Amino acid sequence: MNEPFPSEPRLSELVERAFDYRGYVTVLRSDGSEMIGYLYDRGPAHVDLLDETATRRTRLSRDEIVDIRFTGDDPVRKSQEIWERRKGSLEPRDSPAHGEWAGSRPVLLAVALEQELQHVARALGLRRHRASARGRLQGSDIVALAVGVGGSARVVSDEEPRVVVSCGFCGALDPTLEAGDLVLATSVRAPGSEAVRAPDALLAQAHRALSGLPFYEGEVLGTSAVAATPDDKRALGASGALAVDMETHSLALAANKAGIPWLSVRAVLDPQGVTLPRFAREPRKSYLTAALRHALSSPRGAMEIARLASAARRAGASLEEAIRRLWKVLA
Amino acid sequence: MSIPAAQMAAVAKYVLEQRLAGREKYPLVLMLEPLFRCNLSCTGCGKIQYPVSILKKDLSVEDCLRASEECEAPVVSIAGGEPLLHPQISAIAQGLVERGRFVYLCTNALLLERKLDEFRPDKHLSFSVHMDGPREEHDLAVCREGVYEVAVNAIRAALDRGFRVTTNTTLFEGADPERMRRFFDDMMGLGVEGMMISPGYSYEKAPDQEHFLRRERSHKLFSRMLTNPKRSWRFNQSPFFLQFLMGKRDFDCTPWGNPTYNVFGWQRPCYLLQDGYARTFRELMEETDWSKYGRKSGNPRCQDCMVHCGFEPSAVRATFASPRSLTESALAMVTGRL
Repeated sequence: MNEPFPSEPRLSELVERAFDYRGYVTVLRSDGSEMIGYLYDRGPAHVDLLDETATRRTRLSRDEIVDIRFTGDDPVRKSQEIWERRKGSLEPRDSPAHGEWAGSRPVLLAVALEQELQHVARALGLRRHRASARGRLQGSDIVALAVGVGGSARVVSDEEPRVVVSCGFCGALDPTLEAGDLVLATSVRAPGSEAVRAPDALLAQAHRALSGLPFYEGEVLGTSAVAATPDDKRALGASGALAVDMETHSLALAANKAGIPWLSVRAVLDPQGVTLPRFAREPRKSYLTAALRHALSSPRGAMEIARLASAARRAGASLEEAIRRLWKVLA
Repeated sequence: MSIPAAQMAAVAKYVLEQRLAGREKYPLVLMLEPLFRCNLSCTGCGKIQYPVSILKKDLSVEDCLRASEECEAPVVSIAGGEPLLHPQISAIAQGLVERGRFVYLCTNALLLERKLDEFRPDKHLSFSVHMDGPREEHDLAVCREGVYEVAVNAIRAALDRGFRVTTNTTLFEGADPERMRRFFDDMMGLGVEGMMISPGYSYEKAPDQEHFLRRERSHKLFSRMLTNPKRSWRFNQSPFFLQFLMGKRDFDCTPWGNPTYNVFGWQRPCYLLQDGYARTFRELMEETDWSKYGRKSGNPRCQDCMVHCGFEPSAVRATFASPRSLTESALAMVTGRL
């Protein structure tokens, strides 16, 4: 049986209450149907509703309304309850900067050096400003940062990303890897510690995205010092790891701790049999001046730098292609 | 006073054009709310109490630019919610700047430092950073520890990068005039272009209903704060509005002066009251019964309101009302005396 129509004063009172209410209401119509929505406006002969997805607007004639029920939660009451509960106390300093709106969290791409950041910025069409490049691509915010050799895992808590990608260059521990080959980390381990595994789902997506490129999957070793000589790299390679870098381990640990999925894709700069010049063994902010000085020091130094520059070009080109392909997954 | 000359000239030209065209009602500042969601839940805010799906809704860049073209106000204040949570906020700001609007992007600055790369410094763009007083008062007002410090760091970073930065301060019952004067010193010491101040509006939906200022209390507070202003202080507001806050001048509200556009449409009648929505700016201006608003109307919701969105337009109208008032305003700007 259909509900009786309300009197005009009763209907007016209901409409005004619903207009003042900041939650969803259910409007019962004379044909027996119901409509749920947010009543955001009203006129002498109509009410305007925004549906529950906040995308569709509907204008209903007042003549067809038989009742309005206050069925949705009341955000005003909720806000007052929260305020009463925390009266006198403040949210802690480390509350997320995005508040509850995780959907707008960025993808974080962390590299060690500004030279590596250039490749990431170029691959994604970002404008670089010193050690950072930020932007938005295909509806996703991106933040790419040069965190320095050895890296700072603080960027994970500072940026609150939804995905962490450790990228840049690495040294090969496997003798079959050449300059420019890509390494997709299935796990990362510091010498003597337990492996941190990359999340399977993201890894599988990355695997598909990189197919067709010269890439290898396996464990990456995280060290606190540069593995500069073939002997160093052979010794580290005994662990079975494919490659070595100095940032992925701390970033992966920080991401795991924060419950954020992570990925590591690295391009080989120095194959296992290559000795890095002495200046490259110390962590620096930029290697440019030191490399120039080394090149000018002797003909052999010049040759070493030329070889390294050629390897860096190949590694950079591979990295750019990998980032471009991975972005389809990350976005 | 610190409103840049180019902005003052643009506003003056616009006001004179309106007067020459014989327009009685015209907007000065578009209050653009491209979203309602926020990363803070401040004690005196009644703007964010909506269902989640509405909080997640964003105005598109096109919607925002269309609204600005519809209303033609020379200044756009992007408010919210927290505008920096909008995924296309830089495109919105850039689009408005390209249309010659002077944009004040209001922000609590929690995300400002990390978003700076998305913006380009421009004389038409200013970050208006929400600062409700010294560290203790600000963190208390926004209900979170450490926000003052984050905002100060973000202001420094934005200034270093060549952006215009102003502050926007809302005052509530209990504000200490002496501490506020020291706060003004601190803000000017940071190097901000200017400061904006206003009493808070008593939003019905805000959780804390005890600390909104009533009119007489507002006069006393602002009078104690602004009497003998230091020459170093710069306010991004008209002298007449500051004198109004101090009780030296009286205006009624100009509710159409700062029209508001948000995810529901053009809000009637103003930024603070929600009596419904118009689909177009023209409908807002022509079909709203403006006689129902302002102190003289007797509307109880307007009696204690002294907020800049209603009274700054009145102050600007009063400034341009006669050569004498124009001279008085110019003198106050030059001497810094209120």
